[in-house]
Amino acid sequence: MGVSSNESIELCIFDLRRGQHEGQELDKILFFFPAGLPFSKQLSVIGLSEGLITFTRIFSPEAACEVIEAERHSHVFHEPEPDIWMVMVVEKSNDSEPIWRDDALRKVLKEIHSLFVMFHGSIRAMLEKEPGGELTRRHLYSFIMDYLRACKKPSPWDNCCCCYDFFVGKKLTLPSFRDCLKERGTVQMLTIGREAAIEVQSLVRVLESSAGNTPCYSLILFQDLLVSTTLSPDDTINLFAYAVLRLTPHALSSGASSWSYLRKGSTASNVAAESNITHPSSMSEGFYGSSDISSGEDNHYHVVRPLQSDKWSKGKDGYLVTDLWGAEVATWVFATPTVWLQQTGEKMYLCVFQHRSLTLMLLIPVSSIPNGEQGVVAVKQQVLENASHKILKVEEKLSKGWGGENAYHVSGYRYLLIDGDRNVSRASPATKVTTLTKESLLAMNKLRQEVELEKSRAKLESLNCEKDLEMCIRAKNNAWVISRVTRGNELYMVLEKANETLLYASDAVEKFSDRYCDGTFSVD
Amino acid sequence: MATRKPYFPARSRRFLPVAVADSLTLSMDSDSAFEFHESEIYDDSARVNSFECRGGSAVVKKKKGASEDAPSSPGSSGYAGEGGSSSATTGSQFEIQRQEIEDDDAAIQIDRISLSESHTSWIPGKRHLDEDDASLSWRKRKKHFFVLSHSGKPIYSRYGDEHRLAGFSATLQAIISFVENGGDSVKLVRAGRHQVVFLVKGPIYLVCISSTEEPYESLRGQLELIYGQMLVILTRSIDRCFEKNPKFDMTPLLGGTETVFSSLIHSFSWNPATFLHAYTCLPLAYVTRQAAGAILQDIADSGVLFAILMCRHKVISLFGAQKASLHPDDMLLLTNFVMSSESFRQADTYLMLLTTSSDAFYHLKDCRFRVEMVLLKSSVLSEVQRSLLNGGMHVEDLPPIPHSGSSNSGQHMLPSDSPDRFEEPNSGIGGPAGLWHFMYRSIYLDQYISSEFPSSLNTPQQQKR
Repeated sequence: MGVSSNESIELCIFDLRRGQHEGQELDKILFFFPAGLPFSKQLSVIGLSEGLITFTRIFSPEAACEVIEAERHSHVFHEPEPDIWMVMVVEKSNDSEPIWRDDALRKVLKEIHSLFVMFHGSIRAMLEKEPGGELTRRHLYSFIMDYLRACKKPSPWDNCCCCYDFFVGKKLTLPSFRDCLKERGTVQMLTIGREAAIEVQSLVRVLESSAGNTPCYSLILFQDLLVSTTLSPDDTINLFAYAVLRLTPHALSSGASSWSYLRKGSTASNVAAESNITHPSSMSEGFYGSSDISSGEDNHYHVVRPLQSDKWSKGKDGYLVTDLWGAEVATWVFATPTVWLQQTGEKMYLCVFQHRSLTLMLLIPVSSIPNGEQGVVAVKQQVLENASHKILKVEEKLSKGWGGENAYHVSGYRYLLIDGDRNVSRASPATKVTTLTKESLLAMNKLRQEVELEKSRAKLESLNCEKDLEMCIRAKNNAWVISRVTRGNELYMVLEKANETLLYASDAVEKFSDRYCDGTFSVD
Repeated sequence: MATRKPYFPARSRRFLPVAVADSLTLSMDSDSAFEFHESEIYDDSARVNSFECRGGSAVVKKKKGASEDAPSSPGSSGYAGEGGSSSATTGSQFEIQRQEIEDDDAAIQIDRISLSESHTSWIPGKRHLDEDDASLSWRKRKKHFFVLSHSGKPIYSRYGDEHRLAGFSATLQAIISFVENGGDSVKLVRAGRHQVVFLVKGPIYLVCISSTEEPYESLRGQLELIYGQMLVILTRSIDRCFEKNPKFDMTPLLGGTETVFSSLIHSFSWNPATFLHAYTCLPLAYVTRQAAGAILQDIADSGVLFAILMCRHKVISLFGAQKASLHPDDMLLLTNFVMSSESFRQADTYLMLLTTSSDAFYHLKDCRFRVEMVLLKSSVLSEVQRSLLNGGMHVEDLPPIPHSGSSNSGQHMLPSDSPDRFEEPNSGIGGPAGLWHFMYRSIYLDQYISSEFPSSLNTPQQQKR
């Protein structure tokens, strides 16, 4: 048996509109992890979820069921599309304090769905195209398993926080209290000086005019930080997440060596894990089409698996190439990757150029390029001609101004700043956060859970009025854990060496706010 | 039943009610009992020192067999179901007869005597009996409480008629047992503004569906109190009944007790004792309290375990023999029970005498008489009245603080996430440093004090906050 059936985590996706007839319940299930779990158990998880969705609809028709807390498990719910539900079941620890945070887990589900839609379109659309569900199930299975396996080499300046190695050993781990000072679904930006900003602006203009008159979009990253974007916030988040997973210099180099100190051993265990998952050793695994992973067998449909690792590499001209989207049969030219933008619903070609630490992503509407791959090649050429000089200049400037791995470290503080309006976050470097004690992190986790509750209540109350709030907790080890939310901005802070009094901790927060946040969080 | 224990361990003793005339007797589920007697004091400024006290006799019958010859009276509702099934048990069991108390002089007042304006519109007992789970108004209620048996039979519902909620009850039971079959037990479901809190106590399931913003722990505490109140009325022998017959229908046993539950649920929104697990005292001069305490101490030698003199929900004086202590939650439930009974509707001050010895039980009446005499002679009762009228502490009376930094006129609060504790700076109205309201709970004494609500918070909604 490939995957043990007492995994402490389960993840499932089901469609409420399907399988409503007696004997056809299995039709509801679109995805289930671990796939090896017997069907009866899968159905019981989904049955409970469905029952509670119906039950809560009686009292709360406008707000869907969000979480079920039981003694030993938590179920986290997310409805990304009407009647399509994602449920994650996690096992609680024996600690008295909660180690999970509902919102953090829900954000994982949100990210899975957003990325899926970016590459494959909506689940509902896919189901309508092929009502049997086979296609959808295969896509979901390969996509989510790739996502869960996605890894990022932990780099010395690992301040980009949205990627995780979900498989530690062979066990699936999810964001817990140790990640309380990170926020998924946000981008991390590089602060640049005025001069550099002007250079970047002009580079963007040149890039986007390379495809003639059609409106293009671009994303520029330095290391793993965002420098500029002309996309909508949601699309930015998705592409940023993908870039950090697969395209940035770190992501590219991570595949080369035994990349993770988290997994004992190197490629041997990689292979073992892979084969465990791909080998269809039970009927339920076959149900999800895992047998089709090895591309040789599948003859009539090529499932694009953009999250597969080690599939991108740097070409000679500086562009990144991949065979993930297949190749044209006659010419063996790799197909250019395509993605769907959420904002416009358009299908776009994705061209990625990289020079040292700078990564450029250019998105060109497919509809604007009449002659397919040849047209894309032409645009790429154009970009190189127009912009290569600028690219070099920008890269140089940014490298010079680069503060290094601990650029955003503020001594004495461990913090997380979130700008809710722009979906930008900044935090203490991960290496610094690990110096905090377990009690502090648990307290921060709890505090964030409370803040989430308050925020969601405020959202339900009135759409316009934003809630300003401040919460302070004294943790068991006498650390102060503070949170301030004001006008869409959030600040979370852990002060371990602060004084006894609340006043002192408050002052520390004020100082930080004045110095680094333009006084956003200071009390008037 | 096991060997008789001389004291109450914290919360395990439960009582059965018997009401005759103006005295209410509660009998224990083992061989012990205690008795309440009321002193009626008319809240009338012209007759502030006069009161009436009607003697009454308590009737308790101890039964070892199935036959019954308890006195009956018109309008009695008996626990017939209980009698039938208990005949086979080895321990002794009480047959109970409840009698409605008719006050022949005063019409039964619907409105409770209000402690603050927030109570004037509250009506005890159940309302909206016509609702069921299909009606929109029922779905929109802010806070539901349900009690059901483990076989899915509805026992109590705050809104709506239990019988019409059988289907809904079955749904709740299905959810709970489904999760239990998976080796887990469901605690909480959150959806938008609503929280559904589950509590399983043996064969009884309690559920609260609330869209108030109270934290999970508060709601769970409230369910525990409701369960406690149920045990006060029915004792733990219901566990045995369910063991024998899983489909046991408990609803008739609770017939006529809606007022008790509804007053308990109502107290969740105004009585801090419900979440502080502490009791509070009526402000009285030291001398007065001493006098009251002295007489209570005097009767202690006659086997009375606890003597508590109360004014509404505040304690005037309490005495426990041999350092035994009564858990504040028990006090709350007893008080609630007393105050929601018809016969005590007009009373402000009452005396509770608790004992576990059956000999002492028969002397309780004498004790009560003695206390009454002393209280009449002394000025305790009039002091109590005056205190009631004056009310408690007001934040406006606090001296203003010097502007040197931390204010200590507001007492420090224990870190509890109590929903209606707040300190908001507001210009103008309020005490020093803009303090509106404070509460202090002493862990050692199990007591709390709180200020009265200032005039700026005079609506029930604000006070509920």
